[in-house]
Amino acid sequence: MERADVAIIGGGLVGCAAAWQLARKGASVVLIEAGDINAGASGQNAGSLHFQIERRFLENGDDLAEQGAQIVALSRHAVTDWATIEGDLAADLHVAMDGGLMVAETAEQVALLERKAARESHEGLAVRTLDGEQARTIAPYLSPGILAANFSADEGHADPRAVTPALADAARREGASVRTATRVRTIERDAGRFRVEGEGLALSADQLLVAAGAWSTEICALVNIHMPLYPVALLMNATERTAPMVPHLVQHVGRRLSLKQTHAGNLLIGGGWPSRLAQTPNGGFDLSARAQMIPESLTGNLLAARDVVPGVTQLNLIRSWTGVTAISSDQLPIVGPVPRVPGLWVAAGGSAFTLGLTFARMLADAMTGGDADELALLSPARFEHLNGFMG
Amino acid sequence: MSADRIIHGVVRGEPITIIVDGEPLACFAGETVAAAMLAAGVDAFRSDRRGKPRGLFCNMGSCYECQVTLVASGRRVRACLTQAVDAMEVVTRG
Repeated sequence: MERADVAIIGGGLVGCAAAWQLARKGASVVLIEAGDINAGASGQNAGSLHFQIERRFLENGDDLAEQGAQIVALSRHAVTDWATIEGDLAADLHVAMDGGLMVAETAEQVALLERKAARESHEGLAVRTLDGEQARTIAPYLSPGILAANFSADEGHADPRAVTPALADAARREGASVRTATRVRTIERDAGRFRVEGEGLALSADQLLVAAGAWSTEICALVNIHMPLYPVALLMNATERTAPMVPHLVQHVGRRLSLKQTHAGNLLIGGGWPSRLAQTPNGGFDLSARAQMIPESLTGNLLAARDVVPGVTQLNLIRSWTGVTAISSDQLPIVGPVPRVPGLWVAAGGSAFTLGLTFARMLADAMTGGDADELALLSPARFEHLNGFMG
Repeated sequence: MSADRIIHGVVRGEPITIIVDGEPLACFAGETVAAAMLAAGVDAFRSDRRGKPRGLFCNMGSCYECQVTLVASGRRVRACLTQAVDAMEVVTRG
């Protein structure tokens, strides 16, 4: 049986980045991917590098907003990781960090922006609050209806189609073995090791990292562990290319919107509008089938884009697509060691484009004898009560 | 690539003129901008990112290769789905 220090399940951004980081540290790594590299949420998302507290953390009361604020500490690391990744990989990933605006259209939203900025400055994230006129001075493409904006100088975007394949290449260069089209069928625990088997795969590893996005729940089930992750299907849209008009990442504090212009010139429009997950005949969600677009999501998303950046109405929509990510039961990502099963690590649950490089770097440190203190907020240990009868 | 109009057994609309890249182009009401351009031997509809000309491919609205810009509105439209209207002005840059 093949042996490795670390088996990683999931060929997305986090899995490939962790494989690269671990291999760089001298670990023998086998990365196992059921489909192809970057086929899931890592390649389907719209590539936002968002460091301000996300709208979804602000709309459900103070406790969640407080948790969202704590992620800001990780965001500060992510700023550095994204600023250095193209040099580290010697690859052009179209990383642009020219700043990001989170806008408000109503007095209520302006108040929300101000509370958010106060939380962020408390956590050490530099965010400026601009009135509408100031915002339009640095972002003339904004609608006259924008009353205020928070500006974060480090925000931006990167090309999701380029990042993860480049990380997989870097992992291979460092000696990691990358197995695509390899579905894991069983995981047995054997004398403190993990025996991972599938078609053409029989591997014994000291440690196992599950970084399989929405599929992580199923993989953890193979180890007899509950992982409270729920699949969610989102909508993304792209316009035709146009001349440079939006250098920033644009988000909305009160409506679902993210908008940016790619290196090629297309505007990508998303922001968390739901799509409909496919279903299995016996009532569960079918993650192997593509999620269906919900027409109201498409119109809602485009209306939000129009109200913030009126220039989009001059452009043709050329593509809309759905992608599946996962959200945890408390909205925070789940990243770190699973206490019930020594050697088992998890990294899933959203925010993993912006924070994925950071998750992977910190996990690689922790898996090779360092500490995981900075990931403590996201530790799977907070769900240990679910695994009291498991393992 | 260019195209010839069928001459026999066809009833045409009124003769009209559209303007393509500043040049008048005679055609008939009821024709698409793409048909009018092809009949006049104009087969470059837009440019790719390296500035190379692109021609119409599917002529049925799927491929988007024939996008031209309407001068009046600034909108890019598929020439194969756009009816020619007298004095309509289009440009192929972009």
